Amino acid sequence: MNSHRTIVIACAIVIDELLHILPKGMDYRILDVKLHVDTDKLRQTLQKSIDAEAGKYDSIILGYGLCSQAIIGVRASGCRLIAPRIDDCISMFMGSRAKYKAQHLSHPGTYYLTSGWVKEGDTPFSDYEYTVQRYGKKRADRVIGIMLANYKRLALINTGQHDIDENRVYAKSTAEQFGLMYEELKGSRRLLMKLLKGPWDEEFVVIESGDTFKYEHFM
Amino acid sequence: MKELIDAIVAMDEEKAIALTDHMIDDNIDPMKILDAYRDAMAEVGRRFEEGKFFIPELILSGEMLNAASEKIKPLLTAANKSSKKKGKVIIGTVAGDIHDIGKDIVTLMLDINGYEVLDLGIDVPVAKFVEAAKDFNPQVIGMSGFLTMAYDPMKNTVAALVEAGVREEIKIMIGGGQMDNQIRDYVGADAFGKDAIEAVKLCDQWIK
Repeated sequence: MNSHRTIVIACAIVIDELLHILPKGMDYRILDVKLHVDTDKLRQTLQKSIDAEAGKYDSIILGYGLCSQAIIGVRASGCRLIAPRIDDCISMFMGSRAKYKAQHLSHPGTYYLTSGWVKEGDTPFSDYEYTVQRYGKKRADRVIGIMLANYKRLALINTGQHDIDENRVYAKSTAEQFGLMYEELKGSRRLLMKLLKGPWDEEFVVIESGDTFKYEHFM
Repeated sequence: MKELIDAIVAMDEEKAIALTDHMIDDNIDPMKILDAYRDAMAEVGRRFEEGKFFIPELILSGEMLNAASEKIKPLLTAANKSSKKKGKVIIGTVAGDIHDIGKDIVTLMLDINGYEVLDLGIDVPVAKFVEAAKDFNPQVIGMSGFLTMAYDPMKNTVAALVEAGVREEIKIMIGGGQMDNQIRDYVGADAFGKDAIEAVKLCDQWIK
């Protein structure tokens, strides 16, 4: 793989991890994390960013999984697209889809944080700050109570790529503030590494120019 | 009604409650009041899509709808005392998923629209859906899931209903996060709905 003919397009949260291991000379574009709340807008923005780069590169690596199906319908034109075969970014930070699934089934009510999520915000905890400012603490407390009603655990995923201390302080105090059990999960950069360097085997979906991402690709 | 809609969209809870109380006192048709709430919710949804509102506003307006329907429900039941329930619906968030804000709104809307709803809650195991289907005898089962990881438990639930021999008599609808025809086919459901209003429409179509 020629790094100069490959570009990464990823969400700000994923880039936060990828930048540590990006091969020399590989370009990247960052998309706003806030897009993830609006699937259609994320899909359109992703397509626009892909189309803008397609002529200049052979391959575009996407730092997106299914992401609420935002990737479904995204088309490759003029280059091939590579995406990890995962539900969302938590699999990337845990190291595999299987590891995330195991966590998901054993602890369904978990809110996951990574360094990127702490930095970028856009979590129920940042929503809480917004609500306090706009509607007062009393109503904010009610809103966060509903948002986190069935959540029991706040898990900080440590991929080993960041100075975790600051994130740990934030995650621990946030867990305490909102009555969640705090846990630190050992993450991995295995899948992130493989996304950038290959091999793009069954853990990835690769589509050639003219093809479109379909749901069955991710099953 | 416009004043009420504006108050809800402005997240002015006190004013919305006061206006609702006035309308109830003035004997305004309770369904009309609920329609105003529904229109306001739609406007809140639009602003959310435009990036002017965020998740907290969706929750705050949902809460206002909840409070209003608590007041209005007894009036509707009193008005419809003679009419019996339209049908039976089981609803639940599938295994592994714990999100229930949308599910609760669907339950509420079905309830005020005359359905007897059995809410199985969150993280509902496949076996619990099957057991409830046998005991409660619903015409419709609604499965909710917010995460893409909810598709497989939905598929497994449908398969278990087939195995238990009850699938034929029951219509299955799915909703929650991103649903479309592809997911409906993958899961083996009969339909998907994007919001609570569609859920009511589906039940109305199926149960005549």
